[in-house]
Amino acid sequence: MSDPKTPAPAAPVTGPGSPQDVPPLPGSQPIDPATLPRSIRDELEAPDPAAIDTASAELKDGINRCPKCGSTEIRHKPGTDLLVCLYCRNEWDGARVEEAFGLGEGLRDLRGTVIASGARDIAADAASLMSFKCTACGAEVTINTESTMTARCHWCRHVFGINEQIANGAVPDAVLPFHIRKDDAVARIRQFVDKRRMFALKAFKEQFTPENVVGVYLPYMIVDGNAGADIAGKGEIKTREYTRGTGNDKKTYYDADIYQIERHVDFTVDDLPLESSAERGDLDTRVNTNNIINTILPFDTKNAVKWNASYLVGFTSEKRNRDVEHLRPRLEDQLLSIARAQVESSTSRYDRGVRWEQERLQVHGTRWVSMYLPVWLYSYHQPGRNGGLLHYIAVNGRTGETMGSVPVQQWKLLTAALTVGTFIEGIVLWILAASS
Amino acid sequence: MSDDNGLWLLALGPTGATALYWALYRYYRNTDKSHAFERETAVDAQPVTGSDRKVDEIKGTRASRISGENGRAYRTRVQRVRGDTG
Repeated sequence: MSDPKTPAPAAPVTGPGSPQDVPPLPGSQPIDPATLPRSIRDELEAPDPAAIDTASAELKDGINRCPKCGSTEIRHKPGTDLLVCLYCRNEWDGARVEEAFGLGEGLRDLRGTVIASGARDIAADAASLMSFKCTACGAEVTINTESTMTARCHWCRHVFGINEQIANGAVPDAVLPFHIRKDDAVARIRQFVDKRRMFALKAFKEQFTPENVVGVYLPYMIVDGNAGADIAGKGEIKTREYTRGTGNDKKTYYDADIYQIERHVDFTVDDLPLESSAERGDLDTRVNTNNIINTILPFDTKNAVKWNASYLVGFTSEKRNRDVEHLRPRLEDQLLSIARAQVESSTSRYDRGVRWEQERLQVHGTRWVSMYLPVWLYSYHQPGRNGGLLHYIAVNGRTGETMGSVPVQQWKLLTAALTVGTFIEGIVLWILAASS
Repeated sequence: MSDDNGLWLLALGPTGATALYWALYRYYRNTDKSHAFERETAVDAQPVTGSDRKVDEIKGTRASRISGENGRAYRTRVQRVRGDTG
């Protein structure tokens, strides 16, 4: 059957309300907002989400040149935040974003959502394969931003880096260069595993080669927040403790006062890191070991420098695929946890404990900056059901904090547990036999 | 010693075996670890304010702690009141 209804009329091509109209002055409204209800007026008059522009115009063509000699052979000098020119040995420092964009100040006055330009939403159609025209010779160079941010032009040997903040989320606002060198990371991983050898999976021990560790820049959102929280619940104070009955029937009883407790705390958080990759943010320990990488947080993000792809030469990177709005529930969850931790000391008089029943969070303001943070990753794939499990051993590329997941040889662990259990049971039986 | 206590002791073997298994498993696999953001983030908090009001009393309970205690379980979410967010 055909639809008898006619299609909705198209938007007028001419006349009032069409693009043919002379556009209104910027900031002007067709209706005076003062005459509107308050809630609508607030929405109309709300300021645009403020953004901090962290793009570097001087690096836009993709070629990072040494400021002294103009060569593109630039490397990150290991163990420092310096860049070094391999041609003339000139060394220079990236600008710290903390000071350059004032990220450490004004937390108390933070209102609304402030998003740095590298943390903006990822465009749905943005491709991860980027093609560049070499400004030195004109050849086309392709870079897959899923894992690399630099490439060499195969014709003229210039080194390229992606510095333009393209809408695919690959270029962050800031980068924190590696400080821990590879040998150091290898030594830390070896030490970590050496303490966990007895029950480790045999295949893992045989294939253990910590020299295969790779340096990866992982994407994070570094969030500053200004929030307040209200928490309400019950607390109990013991007033009397007594026993009733005699002999084997002796039982302890308690009397207690019940209080209704309400707490409010206003607080600011500085540099809370959140994984901005969907895979890394999934901390389900049944199917992955991403909690290992989560554990080596935090980083000294105060020392992060302005983005420059030359820091990533020789390292791989993972691309951000999460926007601010995706991460907001996780942020609110963590802010509530922080609030609960903050009020705990104010409930110490409740010696029978506290049961929180309701909580409310008011986020006054947040500031989001995207960053690449350095992680040394060693991985081992344990075969098994559903594709097995990828075990990580991760070393924080700045602080050296090490955490890992070592696969266990189940039968060994079970045997040990059963042996000890049997031994304890034997002692118990012996005691029982002796006392009866 | 009474028979009661003796039977209770028998559970020590299986309990010990399970506890050892879990302790070792966690030591190797570290499944219980995550970023301790409550402690490791720079938090600047204003003094906590609030009220405490006695609402009831209980007599003769056998429980030594409040039921459903979660004062230290910071990450356990309770009923979220959505209000006017700033």
